[in-house]
Amino acid sequence: MAALAGLGLAASMSSCRSERAHGGRSNGKIALVIKYQPLGEADAFQRLLRDFERDHPGVSVVAEALPTSSDVAHQFFLTALEGQARDFDLFIVDIVWVAEFARAGWLLDLSPFVAPSEVRRDFLAGLGDAVVFDDKTFALPWYVDTGVLYYRTDLVTHAPSTYQELIFAAERAMRERAEIGGFVWQGRQYEGLVCNVYEAIWGHGGETQQGGHLLLQTDAARAALHYLQSLLRTRVSPPTVTSAGEEEARRAFQAGKAVFMRNWPYAFAESERAGSNLRGKVGLAPLPTVTGEPGHGVLGGYQLGVNARIAEDKRELCIALLRHLTSRAASVELAIAYGRSPARRDAYDDPRLVSEAPLVAALRPAFERARPRPVTPYYMMLSDLLQGEFSAAITGVRSPEEALARAQALVDRLTEVR
Amino acid sequence: MQRARTEHTEKAWAAIMMAPAVLVLAAVALYPTLASIWLSFHRLILVFHEQRFVGFENYAFLVKDARFFGALGHTAYFTVLSVTAELVLGLGLALFLQAGPPARTLLRAAILVPWAIPTVVSARMWAWFFTQQGDGLLAALGARDIAWLGTPGYAMHAAILVDVWKTTPFVALLLLTGLVGIPPAIYDAAAIDGASRLRTLFRITLPLVRPVFVVTALLRALDAFRVFDVVYVLTEGGPANTTETLSVYAYKTMMRAGDFGYGSALSVMTFICVLFLAAGYFAWARWEENR
Repeated sequence: MAALAGLGLAASMSSCRSERAHGGRSNGKIALVIKYQPLGEADAFQRLLRDFERDHPGVSVVAEALPTSSDVAHQFFLTALEGQARDFDLFIVDIVWVAEFARAGWLLDLSPFVAPSEVRRDFLAGLGDAVVFDDKTFALPWYVDTGVLYYRTDLVTHAPSTYQELIFAAERAMRERAEIGGFVWQGRQYEGLVCNVYEAIWGHGGETQQGGHLLLQTDAARAALHYLQSLLRTRVSPPTVTSAGEEEARRAFQAGKAVFMRNWPYAFAESERAGSNLRGKVGLAPLPTVTGEPGHGVLGGYQLGVNARIAEDKRELCIALLRHLTSRAASVELAIAYGRSPARRDAYDDPRLVSEAPLVAALRPAFERARPRPVTPYYMMLSDLLQGEFSAAITGVRSPEEALARAQALVDRLTEVR
Repeated sequence: MQRARTEHTEKAWAAIMMAPAVLVLAAVALYPTLASIWLSFHRLILVFHEQRFVGFENYAFLVKDARFFGALGHTAYFTVLSVTAELVLGLGLALFLQAGPPARTLLRAAILVPWAIPTVVSARMWAWFFTQQGDGLLAALGARDIAWLGTPGYAMHAAILVDVWKTTPFVALLLLTGLVGIPPAIYDAAAIDGASRLRTLFRITLPLVRPVFVVTALLRALDAFRVFDVVYVLTEGGPANTTETLSVYAYKTMMRAGDFGYGSALSVMTFICVLFLAAGYFAWARWEENR
């Protein structure tokens, strides 16, 4: 293993060095390369790129897809950018990576072109804090995501607004139909679990951050973990939730095996697809809370950043492309074609969006309410520590109190050492 | 005098002939190992260009790190259980194949199929079996509604099951070569002496296949101790880190969290454990020989 690790490191460094700087001019045109995650089957994204080429003669834009797994994409950027790669100009950045990439010096400071105040004005609340550090803009928000509650309109009369209501409604439906499991969510030990736990903490009236510190040992956090654990213990949530990610939860819901589901908005398109057995039977609602106020979902989604190492004469063009892709018109196109929710506020007022992507338009309040996960360059380390302890709490390996105490100790060590 | 000189030149020639192999080995095995050990004495967060020498600080934390000892325990448990099961089942399979069942060539090829499938692919396939809610293969066997990969205690055994499923054929094939190597004359002699089949098995077959058996066990134990792919694909170490092995912990620390210093310390510990395992085996083998 030691040998393997050393080899891997050496290999990844050298391979990245060798791939530098081919993105310059090809057949007399300036080529811009953008690394993105596949958006869907429609060709709206390609059309947007062709529009840009038409407006900028002499420029060709090449879109290169990344793996869909966020972890794998993160690892790609880690090795490529650490290896000083210059073969791509623009790239997508998950909301939890921006601080890390900015600190590493991989993201071009965009402030001369897009002032922080402009970002805060034009984009949804919460996004400004995710892309602006030390009063500098490091990326532009592109599309957003947040946790919502799915419910079966044929099994319950209305969406529950409190946890108690959700539990009662799930139990009633399960009594009536033996094959139904109540409430599915993401309980596998991975980033999705961390999102579910944060949402439960906020739903119990708690905060997760104070100043620069992560708050874990609070009454709300203890209550949140007790609540999630009790869902499993009382079988309101089927035991398979402990190994479920987004897709596992979606498949169970899609197969008609759950009354409620916590997931990102993407699952809705699937349930409304022609031939789906759930078509017209699914509703979306804010996450429930203790008090019945609409809950806060975790703020997710992708930003676009510019590679800090590209040649200076390409920067203006990159900014132009960045502005083009995050424009109101482009945001509306992406929302209609792929169901991606715009990060830009004014896109939600667009009549085309309201008529052709009504779901996205309806989600706006959920995005306005969404909260960011802790913003820190060490997010990935932090999350790895929390995943194990949160998993221990919901599966009953440790009590919530013990799990939170352990997590706090680990996090404190991590932040102390810096 | 003359003879000593010849010996001398012969030795020099031997050294020259060996040099390329030694150099290659040093480059691909020794250098990375030493580099890892060197890294483990640093605090090294690659992306933030934080690099400073911290001596044994990483190891000082390691001996107090409950997660490390958890991972060590899980790795040992995985190794003991999976290798034992593979050896027992593999030996049974090898004896069966040696007995010459009908269509044995076809059978030999067929049992190798699980071994031929890349681990990542077969683990994905098993993950699918394990997570199908209510109507999968396991549900048909009466194991409805158990979260195989999400329940502490079950998840590790699920990983062991997949490893045994995949590797038993390989073990069987290795043991079969040992069985085939036993001279038929010995069996003939036993038959003439009127030894029963059971007696033949315990007095002839098993003692003679023993050297191959021991080497197979060693190979498998070294391999199992570094297990990564099966566990990573099935559970990523969850739930509650109960399936996290040393390799998975080291990988997460380095590649996901970006902490190369502590990750290297974990790798070095894995390396040392494997080294002890191998040394233990060899010491035992020598003792066996001299007995």
